[in-house]
Amino acid sequence: MAMAEVFDRYGGLVYSVALRVLKEPDQAEDVMQDIFFQLWKGTGTYVEGRGSLGAWLAVVARNRAIDSLRRKKPTDSVEDVVLPAKTDLASESERNLMIEKVRVVMQGLPPEQQKLVELAFFEGMSHSEIAEMTGDALGTVKTRIRTALMTLRKGVQG
Amino acid sequence: MTNGAHISEEDLALHALQALTAEESAAVQAHVAECEVCRAELAAATGDLALVALSVEQQPLPAGARDRFLSRIAEDAKQAEPEAKIAKIIPINRAAVGRVSVWAPRVAVAALLIIAVGLSWEVLHLDMRLRRETAVLRSLAAKNAKAQAVVDALTAPAAQRVLLTSVKTPPSPTGRAVYLPSTGALVFQGNNLASLPADKTYELWVIPANGTAPIPAGLFRPDATGNASVVLPDLPKGIPAKAFGVTVEKASGSDTPTAPILLAGAAPAAGD
Repeated sequence: MAMAEVFDRYGGLVYSVALRVLKEPDQAEDVMQDIFFQLWKGTGTYVEGRGSLGAWLAVVARNRAIDSLRRKKPTDSVEDVVLPAKTDLASESERNLMIEKVRVVMQGLPPEQQKLVELAFFEGMSHSEIAEMTGDALGTVKTRIRTALMTLRKGVQG
Repeated sequence: MTNGAHISEEDLALHALQALTAEESAAVQAHVAECEVCRAELAAATGDLALVALSVEQQPLPAGARDRFLSRIAEDAKQAEPEAKIAKIIPINRAAVGRVSVWAPRVAVAALLIIAVGLSWEVLHLDMRLRRETAVLRSLAAKNAKAQAVVDALTAPAAQRVLLTSVKTPPSPTGRAVYLPSTGALVFQGNNLASLPADKTYELWVIPANGTAPIPAGLFRPDATGNASVVLPDLPKGIPAKAFGVTVEKASGSDTPTAPILLAGAAPAAGD
C-alpha cells in the first residue's frame, strides 16, 4: 500500500486518538506526523501478520501521545506493540462497524469503570496514581480496569 | 505479580497501558519474553486498548497535514538519494564478473538505443503537433481579420454606398440582409430610403421558416443620403429565416409588423 494511501486511511484515526490525549491540535499533529514518518522509514517495527495496521497505529498513537504528555522520550514498549492477528480494521466499513460496537459497549460500562479507563488510557495515569486520586484500593483499581477491558472485548466479539 | 507461573491478567493489562512502575514493567517484560501464554494474553490486552482507542470521536485532520507529511517524506527521500548513488565497495566474485562483463556493455547499449529511439519519436510527435496547432491558429486569425474588415466596411459612416441600376430607372429603396441562423447574427444594409417624420421609424423583421410570428430585428432611420444599417441585433439562435421585411412603425417600434411592407426579400435555403 502506498504511504499516501496509508495516511489517507488511518491519518484521521491516529490524529483523533492523539488529540483526545493531548487536547492540543499542534502537539497531536506532531505525534501523528512522527508516527507515519517512522512507519515510512520502517523504524516503527510494525510487522504485517501480527495484527491490523489500523489497530496497531491506534495503540501507538495513544502511547506516543502519553509519552508526549509526560514529556518522555518514546518508550521501548511502543515499539513492542503486538496485537492479536484477528483484529482487522482495514476496510472503512469494518472500522465503522467496530467503532459503533465499541461506543455502545463503552457507554454501557459502569461509571466507575468508565472513569478508570479514561484516567488510565487517555490521561496516562499509573494504577497507583489512580488509586491515590480515587481513594480506591490498588487491587480494586486493577480489577476494575481489567473487568472493563474484558467487557469491551466480549462485547465487540459478541 | 505472577499468578502461579504466569503474570496476572490485570498486570498484563496495566503493562499494556504503561500504567505499571518501571520496575514492574521490566519484570513483566522479562517474563513475557520467555512465556508464550503471557505473550498471547498481552497481545490480547493490547487489542483491547485498540478498541478503547477506537471509541474516540473522529476529528478532521488539520488543514495541510497531508501535504506536510508528503513533503516531509519527499524531502527525506531526496536527502537519501545521494547516499544511494555512492557506489558501495563489495567483494568481487570473479566468475560472476566474467559473465557480467561480457553482457553488461551490450545490454547497456541496447537500453540506450531503445531510450534514444523513444525520445526521438516523442520529439517528432510533439513537433508535428506544434506545426498543426500553429497552422490552425494562423487560419483562425486570418478568418477573424477578414470578418472584421467586412463589418468595418458595412458599418463605416465614411463608406461609399452605391447601387447600380438601369440608367433610366430612378433609384428605389433597397435592403440587403446577411443572416447566419445558427448564431442569430444579422447585418442589414438599406439604401435610398425615404426620410421619415420624427414619430416614425423603420423596423426590420425576420420571418421564420417554421411559420411562427415575425421577429423584430431592429429599428433604424436613414441618414441624409438615405442609407441605414442594422448590425447584430439581439436575435435568438437557431431560427432559419423564410424571408425578411421592413415596415414603418411608430418611433418606439412594434411587436408585430404594420402593413404595408415596404421592403421584402425571400431567403434562400441555407447553403444555397
